[in-house]
This record gives sequence, structure tokens and C-alpha cells, in this order.
Amino acid sequence: MTPSLTPLNRRDFLSKTAAGIGAGLVLGAPRTAHAASDAADKIHVALVGAGKQGRVLFEAMSNIPGLHFQAICDIWDYNRQGGIAKVRAFQGHTPKGYSDIDEMLATEKGLDAVIISTPDFWHSPHTVKCLEAGLNVYCEKMMSDTIDGARAMVHAMEKSGKLCQIGHQRRSNPRYRYVLDQLINGSKICGQIVNVNGQWNRAVNSSQDIGFNPKLTIKQDILTKYGFRDMQQFMNWRTYRDLSGGPISDLGAHQIDIFNWFLGVPPKSVFASGGHDFFKNREHFDNVMAIFDYDTPQGGVRAFYQVLTTTSAGGGYYESFMGTQGNIRISEQTAYTSIYREDSAPSWDSLVSRGLLKKQPAPPKPEPAPGAIASYESAAAEAFELPGDLSKPPHQPHLENFFAAVRGQATLTCDARHAFESEAPIYWVNPSALSRQPIEFTAQHLTV
Amino acid sequence: MSNESSCETNQLAFTYGALLLRIWLGVRSVQTGIEKFAGSAASDQAVKIDGAVNSYGLTSGGSVKHYALENYHGVPEALMAKFTAEPLMLKVALPLYDKVLGPSLLVLGVAILLGIASRTSLFLLGLLYTSLTWGLILIKQDEGVSWLGVHMILVVMALALSNHNRFTLLKKW
Repeated sequence: MTPSLTPLNRRDFLSKTAAGIGAGLVLGAPRTAHAASDAADKIHVALVGAGKQGRVLFEAMSNIPGLHFQAICDIWDYNRQGGIAKVRAFQGHTPKGYSDIDEMLATEKGLDAVIISTPDFWHSPHTVKCLEAGLNVYCEKMMSDTIDGARAMVHAMEKSGKLCQIGHQRRSNPRYRYVLDQLINGSKICGQIVNVNGQWNRAVNSSQDIGFNPKLTIKQDILTKYGFRDMQQFMNWRTYRDLSGGPISDLGAHQIDIFNWFLGVPPKSVFASGGHDFFKNREHFDNVMAIFDYDTPQGGVRAFYQVLTTTSAGGGYYESFMGTQGNIRISEQTAYTSIYREDSAPSWDSLVSRGLLKKQPAPPKPEPAPGAIASYESAAAEAFELPGDLSKPPHQPHLENFFAAVRGQATLTCDARHAFESEAPIYWVNPSALSRQPIEFTAQHLTV
Repeated sequence: MSNESSCETNQLAFTYGALLLRIWLGVRSVQTGIEKFAGSAASDQAVKIDGAVNSYGLTSGGSVKHYALENYHGVPEALMAKFTAEPLMLKVALPLYDKVLGPSLLVLGVAILLGIASRTSLFLLGLLYTSLTWGLILIKQDEGVSWLGVHMILVVMALALSNHNRFTLLKKW
């Protein structure tokens, strides 16, 4: 029997989320309007981690009505003060600042939810603390730098009965949900999916170490207390093995999550390769390639994923679901998204007329090269695109889903258990690459 | 007679040259300042499927460019992070520079276009370009440095043609 990932009740999610979002739209328009609403209706939020990702999440949350940002916690004065200034500018009064999460949890009363965007190795301790303190948690992915850390988060969520959403924001993205529901499962435009291909190719310039102003250096005793050797390590924790999972979890986790979510089953095995091809002194591999094998109800699927931090050649980041009748390449970026129909597949004209797909103009037929040998090359595929787009920051729908769930109006699209089921195979990519051996998954590898 | 005629012709050419440089530098400066207030808003018109509004929240793609005071960014955000990390960059100076850059470009551009204290306005614009050049040197944006170098040449040419500067509101300075 093919094991499957725990499904979410889509109808329940859609109806409840629509109700929540609908209420939000009614409540929501201008900032001044909701600022005057009843304080008791507000969700009181603390931000833990006010660095780059914390700012991305705050920008997305600033579009969601009914939130009150009560406290900000960050060990770096620069980030904390910057975060406080942004929140003050947004809501008109100053949130309380903390450098230590224990002090914040002991002092702050009336908090409803915490947004955690700290380095990966702090995700699990911070999430567990907050859940045990009775707070609902939105934590950035990857759940943890270790699979046991991720397991602890699932246990803490289920023991506390509180909500724990993991930041795989594509799970709430209308474009992704539409592709899975309407195109892959509904209209089955791919036919039998036989291969999946995903990548995140990032230019070497965008992958350099992050510098810092020496005047802003955190005191050594604080760095040591929070597990950092020095300021350089604090700024570049993503490149250290004890602090993160490296590029495969940093970038790859988002996309391998889509493989597992869309296919609906966990992989049977992984075989990976990695190297220090350019950044010779980094602990993590700078380039990693992995092949996952799946047994789906339709048949076998091989999924190839590569994360490169040394070149952007090959066109950005996407996940491509390749089937006998069509191919859907989906990405958070509209520019990287495309849909192709195999020449032998039934016409999709009815899908276009119903508005399920938009047809792209046919490309000019290439002239055959002089002297070219007749081959068995496939005819050019017809190109299509999604009928619509996302008009919000990419993290906003996922945060909307979280806050709607806090209000009891929605089901989480990626709670810690679902996230664990999807993330578990990713924890075995680096071990496979290091040992240069395939890993056949057992229940021990993939279960909480 | 012929020399006088030639001299007059050159005077006219120099006047046109000075005017063209003023127009070019003024428009460049004003529009760059205006672009600091540009932003884009995604279309939020819901897409219809089977004649009904879709339940996923898909909206018709595309974005609309618009200008607003709240969009203002003197220094682009991507560069701001790089400048902040530079040890030679004064922490207090950067937010101030961010605030004054756009308005400065607008004021100087308008002054140059209208011929208000042209020489001083051009000199200040040159200083502004020099400050931008210094920032780009810090973050190793050599193409930008070269680009600004071309601007500096145009500023100096405009100053050199000051004697032929006509159509001004304030000739002094």
C-alpha cells in the first residue's frame, strides 16, 4: 500500500478561509479604519527575530487588518531598534523591545501569537517555548536544523493544543492551490506525472557572505550565550552545519515541499551529490543535486532537485511537473511559470474557453537547419499560462491563513505535523551527499 | 565681415549648446527625482472561471505604476542594506541622505531648467553626483561610477558654456 501524506480538508479550508478573508476585506480597508476598531478584536502579536526575513513577514502582515504588534525580540540592537521603528511608524505607538525571549514571555501579558523568524537552529527551542507558554506560533521554515528539533515542535503543538503554522508560504498561495486542485487533480492536464524537476539557481554575487558594520558588532558574551562564535557567524549562520541545513534546506525546502505536497506521498529514497565548488571554506555544500524516488497511485515518479549558489544560469527557481499529456512549471515568480500541452494530448480549448487556462501565442516554427538529419524530435508543445495571479506579497496569504485560524475561521494550510511529513525527507539529503550513498527511507526516517 | 558673421554663428551655436545641456541635465535630474516616488500596485481584479469569480483569490495579472509620497525611497532598498554594511558609511548620515536625495534632485533640476542661479545649481548637482559616485565606489558598482562620470562631464561642459547661458530667470550666481 502506498503511504500518503495527511491530506487537509480542502473544502473546509476554502470555506473557512474565504469567510475569514471576506471578513478581513470588510473590516480591512484603510489603516485608520481598523485602528479605531475594538481593541478586544485585535490579535496581539510578538515578533521574535527582526532581521531580513522578519521584515519581509512584517511587511506582509502590515496589510492584514486586526493585528496589534505588542513586542519585538531580537538579540541585535540594530535589528530590534529598526523593527521597533517600523512598527511604531505603522501602528502609531511603540512596541516593547526585548533581547531575550524568556524575559519577553515572562513579562508580556495578553499575547495571542508569536511570529518566529530567527536562525534555523533556534526555531525549535523558540517554538516549543512559545507553545508551552500557551501562544499560537507562526515559525519560518525550515522547522529546525535537526529532524529531532522538528519532531519536538510537532509534539509541543499537539500537547499544547495551540496552532503552529510553518512558513511554507506556497501552501497558501492561490496560484499553487489552483494548480493542484484544478489543473493537476481536477482537469488532470498533466496526464500521468512521470517526472518532477525543480531548481533554485542563484548567482554567485547573491550568495556572498553578508558583511556588517564593525560599529554595530554584538558583544561577545551575548553572541556566545546565543550560540554564535562571532559576528561573522551571526550574520552568515546559513553557511554553518551546526546552525542550519545549508542551501538544500534554506532554498530547497520550499520546493521539495511542493514535490511532496503535489504528489501526495513521501519519497521512497533519496540519492544526492554536493560539493564545495566555489565557496571552498564554507561548511555546507554550495551546490547540491538530489534525486527522490516516489511510488504514487499513478505509478513511479522520479524528482530531480538542484540548488546552486554559484550561478543563476538556467533560469531562476521553479518546480516542474512533467506528465504524459502536459507540463506545469510553477514558481512564486510569474515570469518562471509556464504550462505546455504535449502535441499528442487532447485539446485544451474547452479549458481555455471556461477560463481555466490562458493560451499563449504560438512561437514561430524554427527553420530546419541545412543538412540537419531527420530525427524523432517531438513537435513543439502549445504554451499556456495560469488565468490569474497573486496580487499580494507572497507571504501574505499564508499569514492570513494563520491569523484566520487563530480567530477560529480557518484550518492551517501547513501545521507542524504536515510540515514535518513534507520536510522529513529533506533532512536526509545532506547525509546522502556526504556519504555518497542513496538512502532508502523507512518509517524511522520519516515519522514523528 | 566674414569673421564677424562666423563669430555670430558660433555665438548662436554656443547658446544652443548651453541650452541643450541645461535641458538635458534638468530633465534628467527632475525625472530621476520624480521616479523616487514611483511604485507599482498589483491589479486586484478577480479572475472569472466558468463565469463565476474564482474562489482561490486569483487576480488578473499585471501591475500598475503609480506615484505617491508614501512610495518615496531616496536610496533603493536593495542598495540601502549594502551601504549599511559599509564601515566607512556614517550610520546617521545614510537616513538623512535617503531623505534629501529625491527633493534635492527635483529642486536642482527645476532650477537648472528655469535658469535660476545656473552656475551654482550646476555646481551643486555636480557635488550630488560626486556623492552618488562615492557610494557606488564603496559597493563596487563600477558601471554606475562610469555612468555618473559621463554626467559629470556634461555638468562641467554646461559650466564652461556659462557665458553663453540665455533664457534664465536669475542670471546671478
